[in-house]
Amino acid sequence: MKVKVNDVELDLAPGTSAIDAVFAAGYDVPYFCSQEYMSPIGACRMCLAVVGAPRKERDGSWTMDEATGQPKIFYFPNPMATCTTAIMEGMVIDTLSDVTKKAQGGMMEMHLINHPLDCPTCDKGGACELQDRAYEYGSGHSRFIFDKRHNEKHHALSELITLDRERCIHCKRCVRYFEEVPGDEVLDFIERGGHTFIGTVEEGLPSNFSGNITDICPVGALLDTTSRFRGRNWEYDHTRSTSLDDASGSAITIDARTGRIERIKAALNTQVNKNWIDDGTRFGHEYAASSDRIKTPMLRKNGKLEPVTWEEATLFISEKLKKLSDNQLGIALRSDATLEEGVAAKSLAEYLKTGQIDHYPRYASSVISANPASFNDLATAGAIFVMADATEEVPMVDLRIKDALKGVTPPTLMAHGVPIADLRLKERMPRKTNILSVAAPYRVDLMKYAAHSMVYPTGTEVEVLKQIIDASTDAGKALKESLSAAEKAVIVLGAFVLNSAEASKLADDLAKATGAKVMKLGAMANSFGLESQDVLPAKADYSYPNMLSGSAKALIVSGLNPAQNAEVAQALLKLELLVVHDLFENETTALAHVVLPAKSGYEKEGTVVNLEGRYLNVNPAPVDGGQAVDFTGFVKELGDALNERLEGRSVRSARRLLKKSLELDLSELPLEGTIASAKAGKVAGLKTNTSGNALLVPSMVRSEYLNRNAHLFASTGGNALRLHPADAASHNLSAHDVISVSVGGFKRRLSVQPSESVPEGMMLLPALPDQPVGLVQLDLNSIKKEQVALEVA
Amino acid sequence: MSDAVAEKPKAITSRHDPRFEVTLYKYIGVENSHTLEFYQSHGGYESAKKAITSMKPVDVVEEMKKSGIRGRGGAGFPTGLKWSFMPPVDGRQRYIVCNADESEPGSCKDRYVLEDDPHQLIEGMIIAGYAISATKGVLYIRGEYYLGYERLYKAIQDAKAAGLLGKNLFGTDFEYEIILHRGAGAYICGEESALMNSFEGFRANPRLKPPFPAQAGVYSLPTTVNNVTSLASAVHIIGKGADWFSGMGTDDSKGFHHVQVSGPAKRRGVYEVPMGISYREIIFDLAGGPTEEVKAFIPGGSSCPMFPFTDQYLDMPMEYASVAKAGSMLGTGGIMLIPQNKCMVDALYNVVRFYAHESCGKCTPCREGVSTWLPSMYKKMLAGLGEKGDLELLEDVSSNIRGRSFCPLADACIMPVQASIKHFRPEYEYIIEHGKSMYPRQSRWAD
Repeated sequence: MKVKVNDVELDLAPGTSAIDAVFAAGYDVPYFCSQEYMSPIGACRMCLAVVGAPRKERDGSWTMDEATGQPKIFYFPNPMATCTTAIMEGMVIDTLSDVTKKAQGGMMEMHLINHPLDCPTCDKGGACELQDRAYEYGSGHSRFIFDKRHNEKHHALSELITLDRERCIHCKRCVRYFEEVPGDEVLDFIERGGHTFIGTVEEGLPSNFSGNITDICPVGALLDTTSRFRGRNWEYDHTRSTSLDDASGSAITIDARTGRIERIKAALNTQVNKNWIDDGTRFGHEYAASSDRIKTPMLRKNGKLEPVTWEEATLFISEKLKKLSDNQLGIALRSDATLEEGVAAKSLAEYLKTGQIDHYPRYASSVISANPASFNDLATAGAIFVMADATEEVPMVDLRIKDALKGVTPPTLMAHGVPIADLRLKERMPRKTNILSVAAPYRVDLMKYAAHSMVYPTGTEVEVLKQIIDASTDAGKALKESLSAAEKAVIVLGAFVLNSAEASKLADDLAKATGAKVMKLGAMANSFGLESQDVLPAKADYSYPNMLSGSAKALIVSGLNPAQNAEVAQALLKLELLVVHDLFENETTALAHVVLPAKSGYEKEGTVVNLEGRYLNVNPAPVDGGQAVDFTGFVKELGDALNERLEGRSVRSARRLLKKSLELDLSELPLEGTIASAKAGKVAGLKTNTSGNALLVPSMVRSEYLNRNAHLFASTGGNALRLHPADAASHNLSAHDVISVSVGGFKRRLSVQPSESVPEGMMLLPALPDQPVGLVQLDLNSIKKEQVALEVA
Repeated sequence: MSDAVAEKPKAITSRHDPRFEVTLYKYIGVENSHTLEFYQSHGGYESAKKAITSMKPVDVVEEMKKSGIRGRGGAGFPTGLKWSFMPPVDGRQRYIVCNADESEPGSCKDRYVLEDDPHQLIEGMIIAGYAISATKGVLYIRGEYYLGYERLYKAIQDAKAAGLLGKNLFGTDFEYEIILHRGAGAYICGEESALMNSFEGFRANPRLKPPFPAQAGVYSLPTTVNNVTSLASAVHIIGKGADWFSGMGTDDSKGFHHVQVSGPAKRRGVYEVPMGISYREIIFDLAGGPTEEVKAFIPGGSSCPMFPFTDQYLDMPMEYASVAKAGSMLGTGGIMLIPQNKCMVDALYNVVRFYAHESCGKCTPCREGVSTWLPSMYKKMLAGLGEKGDLELLEDVSSNIRGRSFCPLADACIMPVQASIKHFRPEYEYIIEHGKSMYPRQSRWAD
């Protein structure tokens, strides 16, 4: 459609909003209520502009202006809100006229009359849309001489988000966000007229994606409590990176100041997370700035760890390594290590002639699908079958499934990026819940949004999948038919399926039979990448659990803490060399000969491959990590001690190697990443428990760091032991009791949360990197109450 | 004028015309008029029977179009045309919504229908439902109208028991039921899309249009929203024919309307009058004339700009076009007289306070302008703290609000403000200059 904005003529797709036409033409209008990926509502009235369009006569010809010989432009009597106006053929939009300017200026003035203008003490200052727009479109002085509205300045909406009700300009972005994006209606306007304020009915914001409202708030009304009053926007170093908290590869911006991470914000990746992230990713950064980080290498001297230089530490290690014969050293990385770290570990293993190399946690079957689904496939699917706790494993999968439920395809990018006002989106759109089926061994969050859900007995994944493949039950038959019938069907497989090679195979068969694409939720951020780079043991006996139980004489572990298990700790004592590369002292460092400082996921440079097979760059934020290095740095230091220039001694060196094998220059990846095909690795050899009275479940909040994430800890109440209320009563446990208990040999400290969503006879607790998802035996006799919840009458 | 038109009898435009007969309000105030027995013994449900048994839905819509009736809720949109906007029947549930959330200050015409003649409204809704093939009617009644609610509730029960609501009406396949819903006292619920939100259980914010209710109304399903008297009029248009209806009024505005006279008049109240009647006839002949000197009158409820009480405006015919041309609206027909010795600034403060209280807070001009700034400015002037420039500021802020808001509520507040400044500017100037009102407020109890 031809549209004219001031003097620029454009040809745009029908259905485009006038505001997008203005931006596409390179002009500007102010706006507060519109937001990318959300419905336009026309509430703030800032984007007013003089708009006109030609009319057609009854015979279909244009009504002509006799003076000019051109179609006559009929202007709307009032300036139109361009965000809610769809373009029409021949539309004329005037953003420079005096009428437009007066309308916009008048509205700007009204936005400011009740705004406290406390910019000097506001965390949003310097990055505030209201501030910017007031500067650009405001008159600079106020004619409002009356008292401004007074209201709460520090209202804690939840443990994580603080609301300043005076600063709110009622754009409704946050209210709409909850209803439209995650589908949790937890926030609304209360009162009306000039007294309107936002609030919740109940305590807190029960949503897994609440933090995004702090990103989209155009003023400083909604603030991330973890970063409140910690710095001004112009003091922060903004680093765009990729989250290492789950396998989605969500884009984040790391805001650091004076060597400390203060805040994580969502960054835009139109293909992956759009501009949303989950709360675990956003608020789970405080551990990286924890004061008890290991900052120097340490060597055990006379039974005590003492700080030493890197040279001394690596010299000690190299001396020990020289005494080992082939295949006696084990090297294990945590599965969120970067590709470059994986390359470094592999090259070290090759040099030291050991086949005992592994990444952990990983599943009994591959996380690389033969017919992989991308996030866009998921968001546009006509049938989705989720056999996972997707919300906790990879929260972004949950959010993108909700896109599919709305049935609105991802918008086409325009000259200025994502459309600001996508007129296809509406408030309270009906959701196509019918396309979503969810199966899990307990009630998972996604079931709220699914028309078909099934809670099956733990460990019966194989039987459930067989029922679907054989269409032996009505529900199974219906599901198989809907997957086959849909033009685009996606099967999402999580840990419960991938943990069993048999179930995994059946799921692949189901996908083949129905033509569905498969999305496999990797255990951690780079499960896909490390498997595709073959950071895997040479044979099944050399897997990480075997290394711990005697196959290795010496061990280098990065990011893992195997000694949490008392039995394993005993075995580790027998090692000739135990090197631990980690952020914090823990049970394993207590046994280690050498402890090396590691970088957190926010400080690393490297590449990860997300669950789609998308290569994404991880960029380092300027954080004070002392002498911490990532695994490539360790390989360099060790190489120096061994007098050997090892491949993978730096990110650059590793990338050189990867460039050859991948034909992909990882230092020149686009911001949205690049999808490259990959083959499944040889992953056999992991044994999983098939019995137990408790189930280790995935958690979007990283349980290993929860103690150091003060705000997340307060919000979640700590790692939870969830069990059916009847079971809680029979075990004499009540809500909020804090207990310590032995779980599969691990001593766990858990807060009791009775919940109807857990089947009777089963207990759920969050998995750890060293205690991954699966069944486990919880020793009921070992339960010790550390804190008893107070009963408030 | 062509001969054919000239041959037709002159349309009724005065209550003095002997041919005029009160129809819709005929039984208002009659004892037991709200009962089914009374209604049926006075020809009740005959029109619905006629429509359903002998007419096709399109014919009913055509008849309404032919009658020329325009919506009586204020905006004056042709009712028949509105009905014809409904999409073709596609198996989805369709709704007819009766907007009985009468809350415009100065209006009370619906109240008497709801209280004294509920069956007439029910019959009108059945006809409308039949015309647009809706099997469900939603009757959204203002929360404060409790007597009306009680009587409607009883009326619906009685009608159901008598087989006038439910399945197989009048021996046909047509089924129809009415859902009675009480509002919770918000003026904005009179706006059709806010009403639908409120009915669905959401916050009463107006919705974005398009989509219009016909495309996506109640629960996103095809819906038509009509005023009480528009629906009740359908009973008589179908019963007596479109020609009878269009035999009243002017070319622009057909039929009858209900005017509600309030203020210092001898006989305040609701009058059924033919369209095209002069305001002089309403105020002097029907309402008995003012009891004290009057300086202005509002023609259609508080949101309509006022007219000075002069011959020019009093002799104006009551029709949509003329009133619009003179700078106001016909609105709901709530005529309010403003006495000479009442301060106009004070009177407008009262109006502004009402809209400030009722603003839903969704859009900026209404929340910050109407709800916050305007009342503050009036309060300042009335407190005697007015300064030079205040009037200009008031005018400028008003112009920044008018035509900029999401829904018409802000305009409804600004239009009377602007009209009062236009016609009674000296009163504003006086209060700003002297720090007191030209007509100081008298005690409520003084006599």
